[in-house]
Amino acid sequence: MIAGLLSLILPGLGQAWAGRRYRGAVVFGAVLLAALVTYWYGVPAWRLAPAAIWLWNVWDAASLARGQERSAFVPVAAMLVMAYGIGWQVTQIDLASLTRNSGRAESILGPMLHPDFAVRREKTNTAWAPVEVPCGPHPPAATNTKDGATVTVAPDCGRLRDTLAVKATGLWPNTPTLVQWATPIGNRLALGAGFAAPLTVASGPDGTLEARIQIPPNALAAAPDPDLPLEHRVYLTQARAEPGFRLSENGRYVVEGIGQTLFLALMATTFGAIGAMLIAFPAARNLMSANWLTRSVYFVTRMVLNIVRSIEALIIAIVFVVIVGLGPFAGVIAITLHTIASLGKLYSEAIEGIDQGPLEAVRAAGGNWLQMVRYAVLPQIVPAFASFTLFRWDINVRTSTIIGFVGGGGIGFFLYQWIIKGDFRAVGSSFVAIALIVIVLDFVSARLRTRLV
Amino acid sequence: MLSVEHLTKTYPNGTTALKDVSFTVQDGEFLVVIGLSGSGKSTLLRCINRLIEPTHGRVLLDGVDVTAARGRELRHLRRHIGMVFQHFNLVRRSSVLTNVLSGRLGYSGTLKSLLGLWTREDRERARHALDRMGLANKAARRADSLSGGQQQRVGIARTLMQEPRIILADEPVASLDPVLSHSILRYLEQLNKEGITVLCSLHFLDLVHRYATRVIALKDGVKVFEGLPGEIDRAKFQEIYGEEAQEVRATSVPTAATGTPISVPVQPPASPA
Repeated sequence: MIAGLLSLILPGLGQAWAGRRYRGAVVFGAVLLAALVTYWYGVPAWRLAPAAIWLWNVWDAASLARGQERSAFVPVAAMLVMAYGIGWQVTQIDLASLTRNSGRAESILGPMLHPDFAVRREKTNTAWAPVEVPCGPHPPAATNTKDGATVTVAPDCGRLRDTLAVKATGLWPNTPTLVQWATPIGNRLALGAGFAAPLTVASGPDGTLEARIQIPPNALAAAPDPDLPLEHRVYLTQARAEPGFRLSENGRYVVEGIGQTLFLALMATTFGAIGAMLIAFPAARNLMSANWLTRSVYFVTRMVLNIVRSIEALIIAIVFVVIVGLGPFAGVIAITLHTIASLGKLYSEAIEGIDQGPLEAVRAAGGNWLQMVRYAVLPQIVPAFASFTLFRWDINVRTSTIIGFVGGGGIGFFLYQWIIKGDFRAVGSSFVAIALIVIVLDFVSARLRTRLV
Repeated sequence: MLSVEHLTKTYPNGTTALKDVSFTVQDGEFLVVIGLSGSGKSTLLRCINRLIEPTHGRVLLDGVDVTAARGRELRHLRRHIGMVFQHFNLVRRSSVLTNVLSGRLGYSGTLKSLLGLWTREDRERARHALDRMGLANKAARRADSLSGGQQQRVGIARTLMQEPRIILADEPVASLDPVLSHSILRYLEQLNKEGITVLCSLHFLDLVHRYATRVIALKDGVKVFEGLPGEIDRAKFQEIYGEEAQEVRATSVPTAATGTPISVPVQPPASPA
């Protein structure tokens, strides 16, 4: 009875009174944790959970006092229901949204499934003629010959929406030809229906072409003075497919980004491994247990490593983008720091796991600390170090694919731009490229590692 | 001359491995230390070259206080005290030659040795040491590619690089087949006859009879016997190894010198701690 009352006042107190101090502490911690979580979440219904544990704890304390132990099913179940229930709500899990927005999904996934990394190789043939808009006192002849193709427009000049006759000779025969208007600053305007669709006319078997066009109503949109006569152009463009593929413009960016990513990972892994090697020795317990000074060096090093390791490379990169500017160097610094911290821990654990015998032998022969490291420690850890480093290189390649999201250079930099721009074909291209290099490096590093161990 | 005076070692966990152990070893002796596992033999040997720091007591080597030496002085003293280990303590992945050369580290300059620059003289010395141990053709092999007996000979060659005046051998044959035990101990005996003092811990009584010039026995960290090997009879043996221990006569391997069978102290089954 007393135990139950005590537990009613303070959870766990009754258990402690019944001689089960540890159980009491756990019960108190559980009630406190449940209360804090439900208080933080603020939805009153969930307060049933700590209440249930509290009630169970009174019952448990009373039973303990009579020498009977209650199963922990009720408090464990209450904690689990609370954790996953609140977790479900806090993370806003909404499975219906997966199907509700199929239109949006299609607009992204469609282009992504058609990456524009490479395009068909093609050859183009271009011809043009000048047209003065608006008409000046002496408009030049609206005709021009280039590479054997002559384009003539009549009349020689016009106002917006005037109809012009285009005639051309010397083009590729029987080829669809794109007819476009070019303003003095080089903007290409469409001439098809409503000036929105492209106008395509087929050339004849003898390489001639005839078309009637209207001067686009927005042809003077960028003109500084609409009354000043300036030379516009009518462009005829023919394209012919050739065998094979070539890199698209986006494809070239992908290649550039991937190259940058690989070198970024290489530099960061190398610098990181060097740094980690230096820091791993003072972070190895077995080398630093000589006296209180070395032991404190060990603790400080370990603590610094743990702190740095807990910060994602992405976050370190944000800081260094500000300090050294946008670009891969910021990424190199960020990934290097993270690599030092993670490899430093792995290395030092490898050092701690070595056979102590040879160390003893070097000391017995009168060797000093450095000689002991060189002759007894290094030969034992080199294979493990190499293996860890290769594994880290693998991880660093993956990290450096996204470090560009915060300005750290590499493929991620382009990827981020394309996502913002909504160019999902380019996004798809980079995904394919990233997947390829990650798979290849995964394979290579796994093979190398099995050789080493 | 090596004197051990009132040596006591208490580990940080409270275990007392040695209690007030004193003895003297004259130059040229082959002193064998016997006792059960955990009786303090390893601790005793490691306190002599300070791989383990004694709690009390002194160790004097030719009048020089080893226990008072610090830093470089201690490292220089250690050069004269060779050590051979039960598990050989070789770097498994390194070559035999590199392992042997590492015995010379106490003499070579730090920078040169870090860069692996050994003098011609050191290399010559290492080859000579391997030659003496019958391993001249094994110098380039990886240490772990050798058999146990060969590895222990590499360990002795490494110790020879120190030009030791005294060799501490910590159960040098406990990891080896009985046949190999004699091979290894004969090498140590040979070195002993050339003037190197040997302190060796052993398990097998017949090996003690065969090789020791003098014996001390430890029991729970206390010296319970000091005398000639011939003085250890069955009663003495029971006293040292405890009432439950019995001398088992193995039928195998008569020793070259005495022809007596190998005797193995058998411990009672370990009681659950």
